[in-house]
Amino acid sequence: MNAQNQRETERLQKTGVRVQNEISRELEALRGRPDHMPGYDYFIDLLAGGIRPDVLEKRAGKPALNLLCVQAPLELIHAAGFLPFKIFSGSYAADALGADGRLPALTCPMLRAVRGIFRLNDSFSGRPWVLPTTCDWIVNLPRMLRMDNPQFAKWFHWLELPHLKDGDAARERWLAEVFGLKKFLEKTTGVKIDRKRLAASVAVYGRAWEALTRLEERRRAGAVPFVWFLIIANSFFLDAPEQWTNAVNALLPALRGNENKNRVFFAGSPVFFPNFKIPLLLEEAGLTVTGDDLCSSGRVFPGGINAEASSEYEMVAVLAGRYHEGCLCPTFADNDRRINSILGDAGNFEGVVFHVLKGCHPYDMESCLLEEPITRRGLKFLRLETDYTAEDGRNLLTRIEAFGQTL
Amino acid sequence: MALTVTSLRTVTQYLSFIVFMYGGRFGVKLGSAIPCFACPYVRGCGGQCYLMGLQGVFGVGMSFEAMRGAPLAAALGWLLVFIILVAALGKTWCGWLCPFGLFQDWFSLLRRKLGVRERILTEKTKRALAPIKYILLAYLLVLPPLVTAKILHQDFNLPFCNICPGKSLLPLFEGNPQYLALNLSNAVTLTFSALLLIVTGVMLIGIFFKDRFFCVFCPLLALIHLAKPLTFLRLSKNVDVCTGCGNCRRVCIMDIAEVSAERGGPDVQTGECLDCARCAESCTANGALSLKWLRFNLFSSSRLYASRNLSRNTAGASKNAGSAGKS
Repeated sequence: MNAQNQRETERLQKTGVRVQNEISRELEALRGRPDHMPGYDYFIDLLAGGIRPDVLEKRAGKPALNLLCVQAPLELIHAAGFLPFKIFSGSYAADALGADGRLPALTCPMLRAVRGIFRLNDSFSGRPWVLPTTCDWIVNLPRMLRMDNPQFAKWFHWLELPHLKDGDAARERWLAEVFGLKKFLEKTTGVKIDRKRLAASVAVYGRAWEALTRLEERRRAGAVPFVWFLIIANSFFLDAPEQWTNAVNALLPALRGNENKNRVFFAGSPVFFPNFKIPLLLEEAGLTVTGDDLCSSGRVFPGGINAEASSEYEMVAVLAGRYHEGCLCPTFADNDRRINSILGDAGNFEGVVFHVLKGCHPYDMESCLLEEPITRRGLKFLRLETDYTAEDGRNLLTRIEAFGQTL
Repeated sequence: MALTVTSLRTVTQYLSFIVFMYGGRFGVKLGSAIPCFACPYVRGCGGQCYLMGLQGVFGVGMSFEAMRGAPLAAALGWLLVFIILVAALGKTWCGWLCPFGLFQDWFSLLRRKLGVRERILTEKTKRALAPIKYILLAYLLVLPPLVTAKILHQDFNLPFCNICPGKSLLPLFEGNPQYLALNLSNAVTLTFSALLLIVTGVMLIGIFFKDRFFCVFCPLLALIHLAKPLTFLRLSKNVDVCTGCGNCRRVCIMDIAEVSAERGGPDVQTGECLDCARCAESCTANGALSLKWLRFNLFSSSRLYASRNLSRNTAGASKNAGSAGKS
């Protein structure tokens, strides 16, 4: 038994080193890129500091609350005195650790990696975790984690996400859920989330969204390579949002437009640091990403909150509405207008690259639904199915290069 | 103050309020066909609400014979002026120019300041209330000829003005509370003045709890909407760009669901729409909502504009709530 424990400890230590190596390698490569600018260093440093809630707490001096997905209103969490910390991992070593014979063969790599980082360190414990019931993987995640540690179940607060967005009934159910979250946060912190606190938090995220939107505009002009855009968006949850906003605003004037050729829109499964395989391959093949609607990038938080309605109830209702109706997650049943987020921007690109993480069923299914309307508009469509491994890189590159020639 | 659709609208509303409420004192007389509540009961008003003009074609001491010739020509002339004004500006008369609209907006501001929740009407209630403005329009069109025909008592003259809260409330701005008193002359005047008091009370409560509550019932809005095929101003939606986030519906002062729900075509200018353009202003999809005058694009929604504007608004809201920057 002892020998088994020791083997397990050694395995965890080795994986920890491997994860750290992956991160260091990527960061090193980023710093050495010819398009690196001093303005990017803030974001690199955030990622270098560790994607852990305890690091965020130390940096920003506020307690962190664990999150997954993009439907829990950040403003509400912020108003309660928490800093929302979105758990993510793009680490292949963590993915390998999270995978074992008990999970289905085609498990979402991102969820496996999350399981891996949970096994690697306990910094995620001891703080509440808010989980919206989005995809089948997410709804089973707590039970998956409980296989490793029965204590995990204690910290979850479910947000039951109505998978319909249209209609009063679904909206009312979601609003009740968001009020439930408010109650949970108030109970956890002892802080009453009143309209003053809400207004202040909405303003904080309003400024952050303005910065993100300006960054998107610069990207549309070819001034922000996709890799750097991802670095900035991925680090959104690693510092207080005010600091992140200041850093983006400081960076904006330095971003100059470049020649924009082979412009593509990037959609599909999220891309998380340090797994930048696909963005780097796109770059290598000479494609420029002028827009994306990934939940880890362009949709990292919804923004666009109109908080003029200043009673407490109305502010919560506005937040609930924006985070629900405005969400394009493929787990929604009435998601027919999701295509418009791509086609609405169609003047800015010639093709769409759709990323599917093997095992990410919602996006896998969505890729079939979107291909036809996209090609009907005269745009090229490339579906790339992959996972966190590096082995398929050359094959993917060949396909991407061939796709680039059709643009 | 930054130049935004809302700031432009606010400035326009105040200027319009001054012109229509006090313009007459400075020699401004814009005629009797104004398509908004430029209330003639306000002494020194700068123009007259067309609803009074429309009712006033008929009236006490008139006869249908006597109306032929010059009076009829004048009535048709004012109708033409009304149509031209409506064609040119559509429902901006309601959203941008109506003094009673601005009066209602003050109550909304007060409610927000106090942090009181707005009571949104359910779709069912809205559907039930929507015909009332057309019923009121029919009422103000049918009764005056009956007075001329001497079927109704002469105090039934101007039947809508007699129950219009604009008549009781707007004269207060020139220090005249006389229309808030009961008129004891006879049973008809007593009934009308009592009814006016009740309507005024209900509307004051209504406009505090619900943005532009009176507009739900306004027969002038109904009349302008009937003239929609003639108007040059259009709120139009590009349904191929809209992702259905619902921002437009949530900021709409009339809580119009169609602006977000519409999937088929560009027309989202419903019977209740006031052309205020708040929806287009808060829309985060480039070009999803546009305000057009004939072929000229006056304003199109833009993500960048929305992000700047919402960021400013929320900063303002936070400041008003007394905790700017303390987060």
